[in-house]
Amino acid sequence: MLLRHTPKEVKERKALTINPAKTCQPVGAMYAALGVHGCLPHSHGSQGCCSYHRSVLTRHYKDPIMAGTSAFTEGSSVFGGQANLMQALTNMFTIYNPDLVAVHTTCLSETIGDDLNQICSKAIEDGKVPAGKKVIYCNTPSYIGSHVTGFSNMCTGIVKGLVEHTGVAKDQVNILPGWVEPSDMREIKRIAKDMGAKIVLYPDTSDVVDSPQTGEYKMYPDGGATVEDIASSGDSIKTLACGAFASEDAAKLLDSSFKVPYEVLDIPVGLSASDRFITALSEAARVTVPAAFVAERGRLVDVIADMTQYLHGKKVAIFGDPDQLIPMVEFLLDLDMIPTHVISGTPGKKFTKKIQELCAEKAPNVQVQNGAQADMFLLHQWIKNEPVDLLLGNTYGKYIARDEDIPFVRYGFPILDRIGHSYFPTVGYTGGIRLLELMLGAIMDRQDRDADDTKVELVM
Amino acid sequence: MSEDKKLPDPSIIKEEILAKYPPKIARKRAKSMVVVDKSMDQEVQSNVRTIPGIITQRGCCYAGCKGVVLGPTRDIINLVHGPIGCSFYAWLTRRNQTDPGEAGPDGENFINYCFSTDMQDSNIVFGGEKKLKQAIQEAYDIFKPKAIGVFSTCPVGLIGDDVHAVSREMKEKFGDCNVFGFSCEGYKGVSQSAGHHIANNQLFKHVIGRDNTQPEGKYNINLLGEYNIGGDAFELDRIFELCGINVISTFSGNSNVTGFERSHTADLNLVMCHRSINYVAEMMETKYGIPWFKVNFIGGDATAKSLRRIGEYYEDPELIARIEEVITAELPSVKQAAKDVLKTTDGKLAMMFVGGSRAHHYQELFAEMGMTTVSAGYEFAHRDDYEGRKVLPTIKVDADSRNIEELKIEADPELYNPRKTKVELEDLEKNGLEFSEYKGMKNDMADQSLIVDDISHWEADKLIEYYKPDIFCAGIKEKYVVQKMGIPLKQLHSYDYGGPYAGFEGAKNFYTDIERMLSTSIWKKLKAPWLETGASDPCICAEYVA
Amino acid sequence: MRKIAIYGKGGIGKSTTTQNTVAGLAEAGNKVMVVGCDPKADSTRLLLGGMAQGTVLDTLREEGEDVEIDDVIKDGYSGTRCVESGGPEPGVGCAGRGIITSINLLEQLGAYEPDQKLDYVFYDVLGDVVCGGFAMPIREGKAEEIYIVVSGEMMAMYAANNICKGIVKFADAGGVRLGGLICNSRKCDNELELITELADRLGTQMIHFVPRDNIVQHAELNRQTVIEFAPESGQADEYRALSKKINDNEMRVIPKPLEMEDLEELMVKYGFDA
Repeated sequence: MLLRHTPKEVKERKALTINPAKTCQPVGAMYAALGVHGCLPHSHGSQGCCSYHRSVLTRHYKDPIMAGTSAFTEGSSVFGGQANLMQALTNMFTIYNPDLVAVHTTCLSETIGDDLNQICSKAIEDGKVPAGKKVIYCNTPSYIGSHVTGFSNMCTGIVKGLVEHTGVAKDQVNILPGWVEPSDMREIKRIAKDMGAKIVLYPDTSDVVDSPQTGEYKMYPDGGATVEDIASSGDSIKTLACGAFASEDAAKLLDSSFKVPYEVLDIPVGLSASDRFITALSEAARVTVPAAFVAERGRLVDVIADMTQYLHGKKVAIFGDPDQLIPMVEFLLDLDMIPTHVISGTPGKKFTKKIQELCAEKAPNVQVQNGAQADMFLLHQWIKNEPVDLLLGNTYGKYIARDEDIPFVRYGFPILDRIGHSYFPTVGYTGGIRLLELMLGAIMDRQDRDADDTKVELVM
Repeated sequence: MSEDKKLPDPSIIKEEILAKYPPKIARKRAKSMVVVDKSMDQEVQSNVRTIPGIITQRGCCYAGCKGVVLGPTRDIINLVHGPIGCSFYAWLTRRNQTDPGEAGPDGENFINYCFSTDMQDSNIVFGGEKKLKQAIQEAYDIFKPKAIGVFSTCPVGLIGDDVHAVSREMKEKFGDCNVFGFSCEGYKGVSQSAGHHIANNQLFKHVIGRDNTQPEGKYNINLLGEYNIGGDAFELDRIFELCGINVISTFSGNSNVTGFERSHTADLNLVMCHRSINYVAEMMETKYGIPWFKVNFIGGDATAKSLRRIGEYYEDPELIARIEEVITAELPSVKQAAKDVLKTTDGKLAMMFVGGSRAHHYQELFAEMGMTTVSAGYEFAHRDDYEGRKVLPTIKVDADSRNIEELKIEADPELYNPRKTKVELEDLEKNGLEFSEYKGMKNDMADQSLIVDDISHWEADKLIEYYKPDIFCAGIKEKYVVQKMGIPLKQLHSYDYGGPYAGFEGAKNFYTDIERMLSTSIWKKLKAPWLETGASDPCICAEYVA
Repeated sequence: MRKIAIYGKGGIGKSTTTQNTVAGLAEAGNKVMVVGCDPKADSTRLLLGGMAQGTVLDTLREEGEDVEIDDVIKDGYSGTRCVESGGPEPGVGCAGRGIITSINLLEQLGAYEPDQKLDYVFYDVLGDVVCGGFAMPIREGKAEEIYIVVSGEMMAMYAANNICKGIVKFADAGGVRLGGLICNSRKCDNELELITELADRLGTQMIHFVPRDNIVQHAELNRQTVIEFAPESGQADEYRALSKKINDNEMRVIPKPLEMEDLEELMVKYGFDA
């Protein structure tokens, strides 16, 4: 047994987190910054933070993740990190020539109170930032919120640092996709294109963290939202913000600073959330939904209808980030599966409320908790007390799945031991079919494995 | 074989690399890039501050302390006091395998768990000691561990939470659980190295020597600086067992607290990774009289040589004979395996930039396959790891090292027992054993090879362009960068999830893995066929140059 | 809305001066919010008639995410809005981080939004800007105008000069400017002339000279501002004059901090036994 010391009996903990279902802000900021073309993320803190964040993102994407660090020493911690950041900016622009640098803080620089606005302004004034280059920044104190908060804060930093208002309205819709995979961002762009909707999507990590192997290394891959496109989002008709936790703050800022109204949507995972997304996009961009989407939707519905017997009534435990969990739980309910245990380390009371509302009718006994001590240790204990038929979550779920012998589908961040998430979207109707393929595969493989010799089915 | 070939002179590429840097940075980096000339002593600047913005491989003090040294011990609860990330990122990511089997199916094993106080804003503002105390209590109540290590992260050092006082208080309160703290805030020192030292110190102060149970075996050793990545320590344990050598404790692969507590009863300390653990070896010699020497179990010949040294140390014909038997039984198949891959590997070039010992040890493995290491360097080494311990007295202690505690150790009034007399040690040295010695990486590198300490992304990029190596060894952050250039990268931290690579079986694994990497078909198909045709047609090329 | 921060050496009388100035402004019909940025949480005591209950940080610690604006803002003398950031007891935690946290929270709660109809926000900041957190009130978009409380004592002037260095640092990025020095008299020799010249050398003005008067202590014992406690007194008029001057002040400069030698020379010049 891998987690042999986890007792069945749940005792309240007040201070100890065991096997967290979240990580800290800066990694989210780093990921968001990679979604801007030509951007070099920079971690203002000890070099270990940058190293850890680059490592986990590299393991998740199996692709280069480049970023700089201010490499704080004990001295910088006492005297402030201004000198380090100034030197880092000089070095990065001289040696690596990015179009822009996106700085985020860490718990160290936050605690000593370094002011990025002041330091970056001084860097520009002192000529450390070459003409035409930019420095954007955001605060990401690691002891507030989670990695999702960091992603959200960098989205806000992007808006603050890059968006302009020319006064000339542009016939385009902003889409803030939230923390999704490059495959998802590519799929959202494909959907918009097929609908004839003009959009600006950012951050956009497609063709950045899933870059092709051509034998030629590009420090700044071809993908990423361009600075020009982002700048133009201040003139857009509307912003669609996918995922309240990751995208709402940036959308709000676009509204308050540039008078671009916004609508918060769920990330389009599963049937219902995709329906709402397509409808909202068609309204915002004033385009009619092409017939092809009726067919696309129909294919997803068809698969659900065909395979419902393997899904109906199956109990599911799921952990991860709120923006992913909310539409996923709704999808599970659409499939007549029973969300049984739901855990997120990311705090925010609206999450539990939302899950309870969704489950009120079909899964009223759902156990849900998020924030402090809502960790995978608790999830495991819940599972021991009420077993489930399927576990959904990031790679760390493998240890629970193996101990408890539960079919397991990797969903969320980080996925360190499988490929696919970079390339096959889980958003939209087609993404829904991919999710079904994964879940049905896990459940049906289990049936094949466990069936008596006499009961093995050829056709399923 | 390859030894006859003269390496190209890298001085020009070095100048080209430095030319890109701002002048001050260029001056500093120049001292960390050394073209090897074995006819003279050369200083390799190392263990100096990372330059902000250069894109380094390095991690932090906490990573060295918790991640490297304490992480592999299965029955300690490693509780990280700080925001959630620090503990999250060090959760199972170093592949330290462990086998709690000997303690039965319920043997303690906390390695798969991640513990954190998950500090919040209010803990920073009002101090986090109360939360830490509560967290220690909860860990104790749920798991009843033998020991709890408490690790400080950056903000803890800033707000002044006293992890040592809290640990002391809780240790007294529990009575049956050893609780001790580490001031390993990420900003300390200049790399993971500071964390190794802090970990060594605290293990020495709080754990080693607590249990004086005498060992039963005849030849009792400790293996220091072996972290059981990919099962290396399992393979070494297998070999030691065949030789009749009893390993009291490995620091710290596949280890447990009891082993640490009894480690002072050994006759001999073997040091694998000099950088991360030499402090413990030194301190155990001073306090308990246990001699140490450097070993290398990476490579078949290296393994045989290290085993023979153990035999020489004991001067016991029975042991020597048994070791020879083991070598005779094991080494031929290793040699054969090396021979089997030779047609793929011979004459190929390798570069390696990793850690504090691997960039040295693995050169020997490559040499066994007829491969040449053209350039190498460490991520967090000190000068002695390059130049040998003879330079120790001349190393300047700068501000960043000075604030890492240096323990004052004296001989233990009761337990000090020199395993060999001074005369005996001198006699052994005359016969070729080198106690308390490490000659460093440079000693084993060819003339005109290039040493680069704390290599930056820019430097690696240019050096790859220059050397066009057949294989590059580094870590996860470099892996896909280098592979995107069309060159296979072998991770020498995680072994690309393979291994073991130590010992006889490990060497064979390594040969086949490297052969596989060098003969992987896909590297020949990186270009789309229509582009390859296009490239040979000058007209099309010219038209499409924008 | 004007956003003003009052700095000065610890013990110089910053909180007293701030609260009396605020009382003067409030009496004249202005809507003023005071944000105390000192872990001791005594920046609003005279306006509230006693120590504030429930500082921002205490509330945050106890209530978690569910903090409401009314949990942390209390109404004081003449409709003034009083907030105490609060912070840890001496020797633990990080008071500087506390200020960052609490000002961020106030922003999130909308304390500065137009619907609050504020004319003034005053930040009363711990004497010494010991770490980055204590500079929070003069960062981007926060306080735009600084007044430094000073006296003829050497350490007070030294602190004032240091604070000017801080202002210079943040002037470009945050747009913060120095509005003037407030001399809170300690009855030192040639104090008026000394501070006038110091202000001049710094490139600013001595906006008001507040004479020393025991009535201030009496008012404090009664947990009131002088304006409330003895509205007819001469000292109350001094504070009214100060608040009017601030209200009318249009002089905002980036100060030119003095070199240490110049500062010492200045003190010697006015008969200081340095």
